[in-house]
Amino acid sequence: MYYGMLAEIAGQANEVWNADRSLTVGEFRDQIVERYPALRDKKFKIAVDQKISQDSILIDNASEIALLPPFAGG
Amino acid sequence: MEKVHKPKKVFVQGPISPDFVSKSIASHQSKTEIGAHAIFLGQIRADQKPDGTVTGIEYSAYEEMAESAFHDIREAAFLKFELSCMHIYHSLGVVPTGEISLFVFVSSPHRRAAFEASEYIVEEIKANVPIFGKELIGESGNYVWKENK
Repeated sequence: MYYGMLAEIAGQANEVWNADRSLTVGEFRDQIVERYPALRDKKFKIAVDQKISQDSILIDNASEIALLPPFAGG
Repeated sequence: MEKVHKPKKVFVQGPISPDFVSKSIASHQSKTEIGAHAIFLGQIRADQKPDGTVTGIEYSAYEEMAESAFHDIREAAFLKFELSCMHIYHSLGVVPTGEISLFVFVSSPHRRAAFEASEYIVEEIKANVPIFGKELIGESGNYVWKENK
Protein backbone atom coordinates (compact mmCIF):
# COMPACT_ATOMS: atom_id res chain seq x y z
CA MET A 1 0.00 0.00 0.00
CA TYR A 2 1.24 3.43 -0.88
CA TYR A 3 0.51 6.57 1.09
CA GLY A 4 0.76 10.29 0.50
CA MET A 5 3.20 11.37 -2.17
CA LEU A 6 4.31 7.76 -2.67
CA ALA A 7 0.86 6.83 -3.98
CA GLU A 8 1.25 9.59 -6.55
CA ILE A 9 4.61 8.21 -7.64
CA ALA A 10 3.32 4.65 -7.87
CA GLY A 11 0.14 5.86 -9.58
CA GLN A 12 -1.96 3.67 -7.29
CA ALA A 13 -2.76 3.08 -3.62
CA ASN A 14 -2.57 -0.71 -3.63
CA GLU A 15 -0.59 -3.30 -5.47
CA VAL A 16 0.07 -7.01 -5.13
CA TRP A 17 3.80 -7.71 -5.06
CA ASN A 18 4.80 -11.16 -6.26
CA ALA A 19 8.26 -12.44 -5.42
CA ASP A 20 9.74 -15.76 -6.38
CA ARG A 21 11.22 -16.19 -2.91
CA SER A 22 10.98 -14.62 0.53
CA LEU A 23 12.45 -11.14 0.60
CA THR A 24 13.92 -9.09 3.38
CA VAL A 25 12.64 -5.55 3.79
CA GLY A 26 15.90 -4.30 2.29
CA GLU A 27 15.55 -6.53 -0.80
CA PHE A 28 11.94 -5.43 -1.20
CA ARG A 29 13.05 -1.79 -0.96
CA ASP A 30 15.58 -2.38 -3.77
CA GLN A 31 12.92 -3.98 -5.98
CA ILE A 32 10.38 -1.27 -5.46
CA VAL A 33 12.88 1.50 -6.17
CA GLU A 34 13.82 -0.34 -9.35
CA ARG A 35 10.17 -0.42 -10.43
CA TYR A 36 9.54 3.21 -9.42
CA PRO A 37 12.85 5.06 -9.83
CA ALA A 38 11.27 8.32 -8.60
CA LEU A 39 11.21 6.75 -5.12
CA ARG A 40 14.99 6.75 -5.01
CA ASP A 41 15.36 10.28 -3.65
CA LYS A 42 12.25 10.12 -1.41
CA LYS A 43 12.34 9.45 2.29
CA PHE A 44 10.07 6.60 3.31
CA LYS A 45 9.67 3.89 5.92
CA ILE A 46 8.36 0.42 5.29
CA ALA A 47 5.76 -1.10 7.58
CA VAL A 48 5.16 -4.85 7.44
CA ASP A 49 1.82 -5.84 8.94
CA GLN A 50 1.58 -2.38 10.48
CA LYS A 51 5.01 -2.43 12.13
CA ILE A 52 7.83 -0.18 10.95
CA SER A 53 10.49 -2.69 9.92
CA GLN A 54 14.24 -2.65 9.57
CA ASP A 55 15.91 -3.77 6.34
CA SER A 56 17.10 -7.08 7.82
CA ILE A 57 13.58 -8.33 8.63
CA LEU A 58 12.32 -11.22 6.47
CA ILE A 59 8.84 -10.60 5.02
CA ASP A 60 6.34 -13.47 5.39
CA ASN A 61 4.13 -14.45 2.50
CA ALA A 62 0.84 -12.57 2.41
CA SER A 63 2.11 -9.74 4.55
CA GLU A 64 0.61 -6.29 4.26
CA ILE A 65 3.42 -3.95 3.27
CA ALA A 66 3.01 -0.19 3.45
CA LEU A 67 5.31 2.54 2.16
CA LEU A 68 5.04 5.50 4.47
CA PRO A 69 6.30 9.00 3.61
CA PRO A 70 7.29 11.40 6.44
CA PHE A 71 4.57 11.81 9.05
CA ALA A 72 2.68 15.09 9.26
CA GLY A 73 0.18 14.65 12.09
CA GLY A 74 -0.65 17.43 14.50
CA MET B 1 -3.47 -1.66 39.17
CA GLU B 2 -4.25 -3.24 35.84
CA LYS B 3 -6.57 -0.95 34.01
CA VAL B 4 -7.67 -1.79 30.52
CA HIS B 5 -8.31 1.18 28.28
CA LYS B 6 -10.60 0.48 25.39
CA PRO B 7 -9.40 1.59 21.97
CA LYS B 8 -11.14 4.85 21.20
CA LYS B 9 -11.99 6.43 17.91
CA VAL B 10 -9.49 9.20 17.25
CA PHE B 11 -10.20 10.35 13.71
CA VAL B 12 -12.86 12.88 12.88
CA GLN B 13 -13.73 14.09 9.41
CA GLY B 14 -12.81 17.75 8.85
CA PRO B 15 -11.99 20.38 11.50
CA ILE B 16 -12.57 19.91 15.24
CA SER B 17 -15.03 22.57 16.35
CA PRO B 18 -14.58 24.80 19.42
CA ASP B 19 -18.07 23.67 20.40
CA PHE B 20 -16.89 20.04 20.51
CA VAL B 21 -13.95 21.11 22.71
CA SER B 22 -16.20 22.97 25.13
CA LYS B 23 -18.65 20.05 25.36
CA SER B 24 -15.72 17.75 26.12
CA ILE B 25 -14.70 20.00 29.00
CA ALA B 26 -18.26 20.17 30.32
CA SER B 27 -18.58 16.38 30.28
CA HIS B 28 -15.87 16.14 32.96
CA GLN B 29 -17.66 18.20 35.61
CA SER B 30 -18.95 15.06 37.34
CA LYS B 31 -15.41 13.62 37.67
CA THR B 32 -14.54 15.42 40.86
CA GLU B 33 -11.26 13.62 41.53
CA ILE B 34 -9.82 15.70 38.67
CA GLY B 35 -7.94 18.84 39.70
CA ALA B 36 -6.24 19.77 36.44
CA HIS B 37 -6.98 19.53 32.73
CA ALA B 38 -4.39 20.23 30.08
CA ILE B 39 -5.56 20.83 26.54
CA PHE B 40 -3.46 21.05 23.42
CA LEU B 41 -5.03 22.30 20.21
CA GLY B 42 -3.19 22.13 16.90
CA GLN B 43 -4.30 24.88 14.52
CA ILE B 44 -3.57 25.12 10.79
CA ARG B 45 -1.06 27.87 10.08
CA ALA B 46 -1.11 30.03 6.93
CA ASP B 47 2.55 29.36 6.07
CA GLN B 48 4.10 31.19 3.14
CA LYS B 49 5.38 28.85 0.43
CA PRO B 50 7.19 29.75 -2.79
CA ASP B 51 3.90 29.33 -4.74
CA GLY B 52 1.63 31.17 -2.29
CA THR B 53 -0.04 30.99 1.10
CA VAL B 54 -1.24 27.77 2.70
CA THR B 55 -5.06 27.75 2.81
CA GLY B 56 -5.52 24.44 4.58
CA ILE B 57 -4.18 20.93 5.07
CA GLU B 58 -5.74 17.78 3.65
CA TYR B 59 -4.97 14.91 6.02
CA SER B 60 -4.91 11.22 5.22
CA ALA B 61 -3.66 8.28 7.26
CA TYR B 62 -2.81 4.63 7.28
CA GLU B 63 -5.83 4.39 9.52
CA GLU B 64 -5.52 0.95 11.06
CA MET B 65 -1.86 1.42 11.94
CA ALA B 66 -2.56 4.95 13.15
CA GLU B 67 -5.38 3.80 15.45
CA SER B 68 -3.07 1.21 16.99
CA ALA B 69 -0.26 3.78 17.33
CA PHE B 70 -2.70 6.10 19.15
CA HIS B 71 -3.67 3.20 21.38
CA ASP B 72 -0.01 2.52 22.24
CA ILE B 73 0.57 6.20 23.02
CA ARG B 74 -2.46 6.25 25.32
CA GLU B 75 -1.31 3.13 27.16
CA ALA B 76 2.23 4.51 27.57
CA ALA B 77 0.93 7.85 28.84
CA PHE B 78 -1.33 6.16 31.42
CA LEU B 79 1.68 4.18 32.68
CA LYS B 80 4.01 7.17 32.75
CA PHE B 81 1.76 9.83 34.29
CA GLU B 82 -0.92 9.96 36.96
CA LEU B 83 -3.92 10.56 34.73
CA SER B 84 -7.63 10.31 35.35
CA CYS B 85 -8.54 10.34 31.69
CA MET B 86 -7.30 11.14 28.23
CA HIS B 87 -8.90 11.99 24.90
CA ILE B 88 -7.20 12.40 21.55
CA TYR B 89 -8.90 13.58 18.36
CA HIS B 90 -7.26 14.17 15.00
CA SER B 91 -8.78 15.39 11.74
CA LEU B 92 -8.87 13.62 8.41
CA GLY B 93 -9.75 15.39 5.17
CA VAL B 94 -9.45 19.13 4.66
CA VAL B 95 -8.93 21.50 7.58
CA PRO B 96 -8.79 25.19 6.55
CA THR B 97 -6.23 27.57 8.07
CA GLY B 98 -7.22 28.89 11.48
CA GLU B 99 -9.16 25.75 12.33
CA ILE B 100 -8.28 22.92 14.70
CA SER B 101 -6.85 19.59 13.50
CA LEU B 102 -5.60 18.06 16.77
CA PHE B 103 -7.24 18.03 20.20
CA VAL B 104 -5.40 16.39 23.09
CA PHE B 105 -7.21 16.54 26.42
CA VAL B 106 -5.66 15.03 29.56
CA SER B 107 -6.99 15.19 33.10
CA SER B 108 -5.24 14.47 36.37
CA PRO B 109 -5.64 15.14 40.07
CA HIS B 110 -2.65 17.53 39.81
CA ARG B 111 -1.28 19.98 37.26
CA ARG B 112 2.25 18.63 36.77
CA ALA B 113 1.10 15.29 35.34
CA ALA B 114 -1.40 17.03 33.08
CA PHE B 115 1.20 19.44 31.65
CA GLU B 116 3.80 16.73 31.12
CA ALA B 117 1.43 14.18 29.65
CA SER B 118 0.01 16.60 27.10
CA GLU B 119 3.48 17.47 25.81
CA TYR B 120 4.51 13.82 25.73
CA ILE B 121 1.39 12.79 23.81
CA VAL B 122 1.69 15.55 21.20
CA GLU B 123 5.37 14.76 20.55
CA GLU B 124 4.61 11.04 20.22
CA ILE B 125 1.79 11.72 17.76
CA LYS B 126 4.02 13.91 15.60
CA ALA B 127 6.82 11.32 15.53
CA ASN B 128 5.05 7.97 15.45
CA VAL B 129 1.56 8.10 13.94
CA PRO B 130 1.29 7.50 10.17
CA ILE B 131 -0.68 10.60 9.25
CA PHE B 132 0.10 12.47 6.04
CA GLY B 133 -0.72 16.03 5.08
CA LYS B 134 -1.03 17.99 1.87
CA GLU B 135 -0.58 21.70 2.42
CA LEU B 136 -3.05 23.30 0.01
CA ILE B 137 -1.80 26.49 -1.60
CA GLY B 138 -3.86 29.35 -2.99
CA GLU B 139 -6.91 28.73 -5.15
CA SER B 140 -5.07 27.01 -7.97
CA GLY B 141 -5.08 23.45 -6.66
CA ASN B 142 -1.34 23.53 -5.92
CA TYR B 143 -0.05 21.71 -2.87
CA VAL B 144 3.08 20.53 -1.13
CA TRP B 145 3.44 17.49 1.14
CA LYS B 146 3.99 18.41 4.77
CA GLU B 147 6.71 16.85 6.91
CA ASN B 148 6.96 17.12 10.70
CA LYS B 149 10.25 18.54 11.93
